[in-house]
Amino acid sequence: MSSAELRVRQRRGTAALAGRETRRVLSLWTQTILPPILTAVLFLAVFGGALGHRIHHVEGLPYLTFILPGLLVMTVAGQSFANSSTSLFQAKNEGYIEDVLTAPLRPGQLAFAYLAGGLTRGLLAAFAVALLALPFAGEGSQPALAVLALVLTGLVFSALGVITGIWADTFDQHAFVANIVITPLALVGGVFYSARTLAEPWATLTRLDPLYYLVDATRGGLTGFHQSSTWLALGVTATVAAAAILIAATLVRRGWRLKP
Amino acid sequence: MTETTDLERTSAALNVEGLTKVYADGTTALDALSLRVPAGTFFGLLGPNGAGKTTLIGATAGLVRAPAELEARLLVGVAPQEVHLDRFLSARELLAYHGRYFGMAKLEALERADELLEVFDLTGKAKTKPNRLSGGMRRRLLIARALVHRPRLVILDEPTAGVDLELRYELWRYLRRLHAEQGVTVLLTTHYIEEAEALCERVAFIRAGRIIGEGAPGELVTRYGSERLEDAYVEAMRQ
Repeated sequence: MSSAELRVRQRRGTAALAGRETRRVLSLWTQTILPPILTAVLFLAVFGGALGHRIHHVEGLPYLTFILPGLLVMTVAGQSFANSSTSLFQAKNEGYIEDVLTAPLRPGQLAFAYLAGGLTRGLLAAFAVALLALPFAGEGSQPALAVLALVLTGLVFSALGVITGIWADTFDQHAFVANIVITPLALVGGVFYSARTLAEPWATLTRLDPLYYLVDATRGGLTGFHQSSTWLALGVTATVAAAAILIAATLVRRGWRLKP
Repeated sequence: MTETTDLERTSAALNVEGLTKVYADGTTALDALSLRVPAGTFFGLLGPNGAGKTTLIGATAGLVRAPAELEARLLVGVAPQEVHLDRFLSARELLAYHGRYFGMAKLEALERADELLEVFDLTGKAKTKPNRLSGGMRRRLLIARALVHRPRLVILDEPTAGVDLELRYELWRYLRRLHAEQGVTVLLTTHYIEEAEALCERVAFIRAGRIIGEGAPGELVTRYGSERLEDAYVEAMRQ
């Protein structure tokens, strides 16, 4: 077989595994798509509806408009991570990952396919939340910028999910990363408040959170308001995404915790 | 002698030379193991638990960390000892996705899946998820999965371990049919001597990660001065 033919087969294999991952997201929609939508709607209802009339404006924006970009980033980050990590962990834990490991796929292709499922779930959930929240959203000064920030969020957290799925040997380890790393990052990432209004050390703490820059970039795209250099934030995020994907592919290549 | 010479001339479906595998805990599972499986044969690998059978299969198929080319994986189909099937897919989808992971086009993979469902009498269960199938059906589906991408060599790792006698005979029937009708080379690992006698044209004994004897069952019986393959096996393990 020529190397060109092998490459064609590998591309088909990668597309099939990515398709299987996407299919899993869609077939389990009550577990993968519906819960994050409900969560986001509750956030909008509580913070926008119940408390919104007391807070009025933040940085010149209606409170609901202010928090919506952050909710989208939280949704993409949480769902992308959950999908990649859970799917890989399940395949490994239940043993059927051997079906994929025996296939002639390159490590990077295997990592990419799992990453694609995470990205799909994150973006689908965010799209649904955005549709529901459209009446409360601003006009959107640079929607493409917001989409780019959300895609980069999905890539970073899907890749982290792949790494976690490979690393975790137990449900506890799997839940640990979600609860101790992802949730705190989301909550101190400036979704519900402006970093400028915080006293030290909270303002610095917020600015150390990588999610803050993604929230800020998305907010910049959707409302025109941002506090940091958007392109710098996207550049740094793209670098982090590339590094995370490289680490994930390297772990697959070495067979770390996948093969004895 | 003539038979051996003919086999040496035959191309190999699997050719392993000097393969060593040491696990992280220091266990040497394969110790400079060499094995040649001639194309077209039904080949048995006999050895006790811990002899290195599963490690050899894992190293060949990419389930164990070992030097291997990705292209070579296209030539090998594996049915592991434990039945692990993707529970999110139906039997037909499971086979088709396997074919697609190996680079088959979608339509071709679906046609091949239907063909194998028929061969293994699973057509009526095409839309059923694996966890809704009986133990025997799940075993058959696992073997069918190993065949989807039309490998040159099918490796069956103890396919009848832990199954009742009735199911064992049923699986033997399928395995004979598979070898005769699909024309593939089969490498079967087992620690049931009667299974090797019933199915295999050639047999290798493996112990402590090394091949200690190889040949047609009759040759092995003669070589070890025994009356039956079972005695030859015991003698080989004793030496």
